[in-house]
Amino acid sequence: MFFRLLMESFRRQRRRKALAGLAILLGTTAVTAMLALATTIGDRIQQELTSYGANIVVYPAADQLEVKVGGVDIKPVPGGAYLHESDLAKLRGIFWANNITGVSPELPIHILGKTAIGADVDASATGLWFDHALSSGGAPLKTGAVGLHPWWKLAGAWPQEQHTTAQNAEAVIGATLAERLKVKAGDEIQVAGQPGNASQALTLHLTGVVSTGDAIENQILLPLNAAQTIAGTPNAVRRVEVSARTKPEDAFGRKDPDTLSAKQREIWYCRPYANSIAYQIREALPGSRAEQIRRVEQSEGTVLKRISGLMWLISAAALLAAAFAVSAAMATAILERQTEIGLMRSLGASKTTVAMLFYAEAGLLAIFAGGLGYLAGSGLAAWLGARIFATDGGVRLGSLLIPVLFPVVVTLALVVAIAGSTPAIRRALTTDPSAILRGSV
Amino acid sequence: MSRLSMGALLRRSLIHRRARSFSALIALTVSAAVVTALLTLYADLDSKLHHEFRTFGANIVVTASDSSKGLPSDAIGTVRTAAGADANAAEFGYAVATTDRGTPVVVAGTDFSAVRTLNSWWKVDAWPSTADPSAALLGQRAAQFVADEHNLQLTFGDRPITLHGTGRLHTGGDEDSRIYVPMQVFTTWTWAKPSVIEVQVPGGEARVESAISRLRQAMPEAKVQPVRQLVEGESRIVDKTHALMYGAVLLIALTVAVSVLATLSASVLERRRDFALMKALGGSHSTLMAMFLLEALILAVGGVVAGFVIGSAAAWTISQLDFHTATLPRLGVMPLVLLLNLLIAAFAALLPVRVLRRLEPAALLKGE
Repeated sequence: MFFRLLMESFRRQRRRKALAGLAILLGTTAVTAMLALATTIGDRIQQELTSYGANIVVYPAADQLEVKVGGVDIKPVPGGAYLHESDLAKLRGIFWANNITGVSPELPIHILGKTAIGADVDASATGLWFDHALSSGGAPLKTGAVGLHPWWKLAGAWPQEQHTTAQNAEAVIGATLAERLKVKAGDEIQVAGQPGNASQALTLHLTGVVSTGDAIENQILLPLNAAQTIAGTPNAVRRVEVSARTKPEDAFGRKDPDTLSAKQREIWYCRPYANSIAYQIREALPGSRAEQIRRVEQSEGTVLKRISGLMWLISAAALLAAAFAVSAAMATAILERQTEIGLMRSLGASKTTVAMLFYAEAGLLAIFAGGLGYLAGSGLAAWLGARIFATDGGVRLGSLLIPVLFPVVVTLALVVAIAGSTPAIRRALTTDPSAILRGSV
Repeated sequence: MSRLSMGALLRRSLIHRRARSFSALIALTVSAAVVTALLTLYADLDSKLHHEFRTFGANIVVTASDSSKGLPSDAIGTVRTAAGADANAAEFGYAVATTDRGTPVVVAGTDFSAVRTLNSWWKVDAWPSTADPSAALLGQRAAQFVADEHNLQLTFGDRPITLHGTGRLHTGGDEDSRIYVPMQVFTTWTWAKPSVIEVQVPGGEARVESAISRLRQAMPEAKVQPVRQLVEGESRIVDKTHALMYGAVLLIALTVAVSVLATLSASVLERRRDFALMKALGGSHSTLMAMFLLEALILAVGGVVAGFVIGSAAAWTISQLDFHTATLPRLGVMPLVLLLNLLIAAFAALLPVRVLRRLEPAALLKGE
């Protein structure tokens, strides 16, 4: 009988159910979408923030003091300490390896040579990875300077390190230098070897002109292997920039790991603070020093905290508003049916049965509409996210649905629907059935 | 039906059916509050976000085109006037000196208090006091090439100087390899003038661009350049957050609007019996609809008044919690909130009109 009543109620009162259901559906859609966006906003904004460049820098611990002003080396020191390029693959093996999104080694060298028209070239150059596959056995990470410096603007093509041979290599030239030397993409620069060491002569084929807005515009950029050949320092790297996804620093993150107890140190080590990732890099690369670039890391932390904080607070406000609106809709839907309740009561239904019936209706509605709302909200969040943060690559189903949200959202819908119905049901049950049926309420 | 009796009917209807009027009022208050809160926050969002980006430091760099001559002596004043009152600026002069161990090191002259506001990411053990003329700040890498930090002996050319380091500086950038000294000391010691001024102009790409053109006009002899990665990145992130908020505002407003619509139109439909009775007693269809409409609009206006107060409080709280600055109530959002609420209410009252028009008073009163 109970189930027949329940079924009939859904079958016959489609309009009323549809309105209350629609309210729940939209409420859960909005809440799911907001929560889904709020949980992923950190990653998305962090991805945007990588456009500020690397947040960790690695250099040899025994390095000499740089004499640099405005990005220009005033007194280049010959020799000095180097890191090993071959060691960099070890970065793929540290605890937070998956948080490392970019690695860009640098080797500054000096180039002496001639252009095709015979003008003398005396310029600084930097050996870089442009699009290098960094792998320690597993899936390679495609990375390099181009990814870490999205503000570099190129006319032409980036050099390819596979094209470097013993006599030839590709390179790009900074805009200011190109203007001074009167060269363009397609031209060649004949680099002379420096006598007295292992350095070699090489022909650089310019594939493009790069504009960066800083001192790099006065330089030549060439593949790392070509730079090592010219300088005669195989496997050498002067400095490595690393871009990593980090957790904004808190008081615990600022602690010095060596002063912590073993257990605390373990916790510190296993959180993706910039400091702990730098610590792990130091452990992985022998003879290195790794440090967070505070200008990027500290500021990113603040921006990230503010934006995700805003999103969470707005989600909370959305939740509250949706709860209010849905419970108002539920209450009206029941108040409307006072006559029905009066009739059932006068036919001998107990208060419990009537209450159970209405709660069962509300519950079914909440689960059904909440489930649909979850799907709609997830889709909406994915669509909004893709529209706003143009993510490359197709939308994967795994990133589209956040399974944890399903029980949360449906439970919320249930609680709100039941809480919203309660005052109305109680009111209808405490009123005398005869008074309701007479229509005097 | 005269106007007087219409008023009386309205009053009776609102007071007599208190429970329903109240739940409709709550629904309309919620919708007004949500819209007020979101619009208030939204209006302030860009300036608040741009404010957060100040922590990234300078986004414009002014350099002397001839670094040996340096910038004109009053350059910092010119820059401050041209960039605007809310800009931060600090001047730097650079020279290469030798430490007591004979290592060449970059010595930078600057104004410590200006740098402190401009570069909030600098981690300094102890900032030197501005009153101390011989204080110096040592970059953490530079400090390793100095024998005695407290009795710091530097030589520029053949001119020695003795300073005392007050603390170490950690940045992870080029600054780590430098020694910072007060500008006054720097100029009297090296005879060099400031050659770089770093400027931080709050705001997006457009504001930075206009500040750059003002600076170029004020100082034609200097090179004025944006820090490209900062300016582009900031605009992109602010725009994206802005778009995200916009999406959220629309989504929430829609949800609340539909719920309110459901509540209100249900409460109108519920009164089919009253409607039939009044119709049977001779009320015209339009008079009755006008009555429902008026009732809904009165509730809507009540909802806006309460909702504006609650929504402004919510916006203030959110902004206080997240940005630690207050967002004051904006009367400017009121018309839009009022319009939205009136639209929802009118729509809710008129939505059931088709159902009501079909009604046969006699059939309904008979209870069919």
